[in-house]
Amino acid sequence: MLFASFALQETPAPSLLEPNVGLVFWTAVVFLAVLGILWKYAWGPITDALEEREERIDASMTKAERALEEAKQIQAENEKNRREAEQEARQILREAREEAEQLREEEKQQTRQELQEMKEQARADIEREKENALSELRSEVADLAIEAAGKIIGENLDEPRQRRLVDDFIDDLPRN
Amino acid sequence: MTTLLRRSLAVLAAGLVLAVAPAAAQSAPDSESAQQHSNAQQSSHGGEGDHAEEENTGNPGAVSHSADGNYLNFEPFGIVELPRLFLTNTAGGGIGFEAFGSSKAALKSGEYTLAHPDSAGASLTDTQVQDALASSHHDYLYFTMQKAGAGSILVDFSITRHLVAVFATALLLVILALGVARRYKRGLGREEAPRGTWQNMVEVMIVFMRDEVAKPALGRHYKSYLPYLLTVFFFILIGNLLGLLPWGITATSNIMVTGTLALFTFLITQFSGTAEYWKHTLNPPGVPWFVKPFLVPAEIIGLFTKPLALAFRLFGNMMSGHIVLISMIGLIFIFTAQFGVGIGTGSIIVSVPLTIFMYGIKLAVSFIQAYIFVILSALFIGLAIEEHEDQHDEVDETEAVEAGSRPHDDIDGFMDRSEHFGPQGKRMVSGDGETAPAGQTAISQPAG
Repeated sequence: MLFASFALQETPAPSLLEPNVGLVFWTAVVFLAVLGILWKYAWGPITDALEEREERIDASMTKAERALEEAKQIQAENEKNRREAEQEARQILREAREEAEQLREEEKQQTRQELQEMKEQARADIEREKENALSELRSEVADLAIEAAGKIIGENLDEPRQRRLVDDFIDDLPRN
Repeated sequence: MTTLLRRSLAVLAAGLVLAVAPAAAQSAPDSESAQQHSNAQQSSHGGEGDHAEEENTGNPGAVSHSADGNYLNFEPFGIVELPRLFLTNTAGGGIGFEAFGSSKAALKSGEYTLAHPDSAGASLTDTQVQDALASSHHDYLYFTMQKAGAGSILVDFSITRHLVAVFATALLLVILALGVARRYKRGLGREEAPRGTWQNMVEVMIVFMRDEVAKPALGRHYKSYLPYLLTVFFFILIGNLLGLLPWGITATSNIMVTGTLALFTFLITQFSGTAEYWKHTLNPPGVPWFVKPFLVPAEIIGLFTKPLALAFRLFGNMMSGHIVLISMIGLIFIFTAQFGVGIGTGSIIVSVPLTIFMYGIKLAVSFIQAYIFVILSALFIGLAIEEHEDQHDEVDETEAVEAGSRPHDDIDGFMDRSEHFGPQGKRMVSGDGETAPAGQTAISQPAG
């Protein structure tokens, strides 16, 4: 090593900017090959898949939004329906109560009327009974009077005359 | 997220241990030998130390760690040579193609020799070549090769270490992307949520690239360019990250590789450029004729500087990171050589945390640079395919007149909205937003 060293040519300093056409050629070939392979078999499918996924996500999001909106709408509708139903129920209740009140009032009125009528009837009945009784009493009294008078006088007047006589008498009597 | 962080930290730590361990193992005998013997012994240890007094270092320092070469460096386990493929001009004037399993085989075949680094065209002497072949550091790997006899190398298609990194990156990317794509085909991620770290991570990046890079920059045309942008992004990202592994090689720290990627962006940009884009470049409308001779060349230069900037930005970032990393670790050995083992060992306390810090930054830079490359590519393409609504053609002259009042409208609107500037509903006569308040007071007072 030492012996040979005088003949040694010192190794040249490496150059960082050394042109190398072969390297450019190879790099270009390799890069183009990679570009071709990946274009066809990697980036294409991957970006397609990504786009597809994004579209699906987009679609499902819009769908979800629409569904949410629909749900909200349905909820609002339900709410409205409930409120309406409640109001209606309240209305019905109120009406029913009013009707019942009215009915009761009418019932009362009717009952009162009926009572009145019954009272009237009773009164009429009583009146009629009294009338009957009076007329019966009257004929009874007339008979009795005729009989008594006949007995007293001894001789009988003829029957129709006597009756007329008595009736006139009774008619002259005060009414009650 | 935390598991990911923990995992990457573990990878980072493992990488550092692996990176430091062999070097540290070397450093002990290195320093001893440096004290006992002087030149000869020291030269048997590669790279890191100071090599001012060495005859040959084999692997001269930090730069060659980042430079390209026809070998894979698995030190301390050894060096694996890579195949040499040459497209040659044969002696007869035809074109030939020659392949060798390694540089050594090419040299031993006698058909190739080493070029003299200092004088163009000349080659090393046979003894020098033999010495280089015999050296324990594979010295011959660091010379340029040339034809021994008549003829010359047309194109050197040899597999280099950076090319191996390109292959590895491509392979990894294909496996990763196809693996993820298979899950989508199976329905995972298509019909249901994506599952697993890989798929989620990749999907996040894909969606980010699509929504934050491609769509804003390219508008409705984004679909045709998205595969290219994704491929470039992941290619650069994986290339960057591979360099952070132990023995890893960063393909993107080679200007040829980044240049090739930028070239694709350049080609896509120019080929998808609309007629209007070319018109704006070659004959910018609305520009005085005497400005055009200066503007048009600048525009044309701009066509090329954009991709060049892309290439150099990525290259520089990845390259510098590596050199900084190795320099920081190298500090340990420099201190050992300069001040002894004690101080050298002590410097570990500073060097290793600094290296870890840099490593973390490089991890971030790997992502950031991949992103920057892609977003700039997208923007350049976007500029080329942009459809302008407000054309400056002669057809729209009336519109142009109207357009002249537009900025003032905007300022008026701004004034109207703002409570700070004068009475509302009054038009600004002239001026931009900043000088307007003064003009407003000056004009509104006589008016009011």
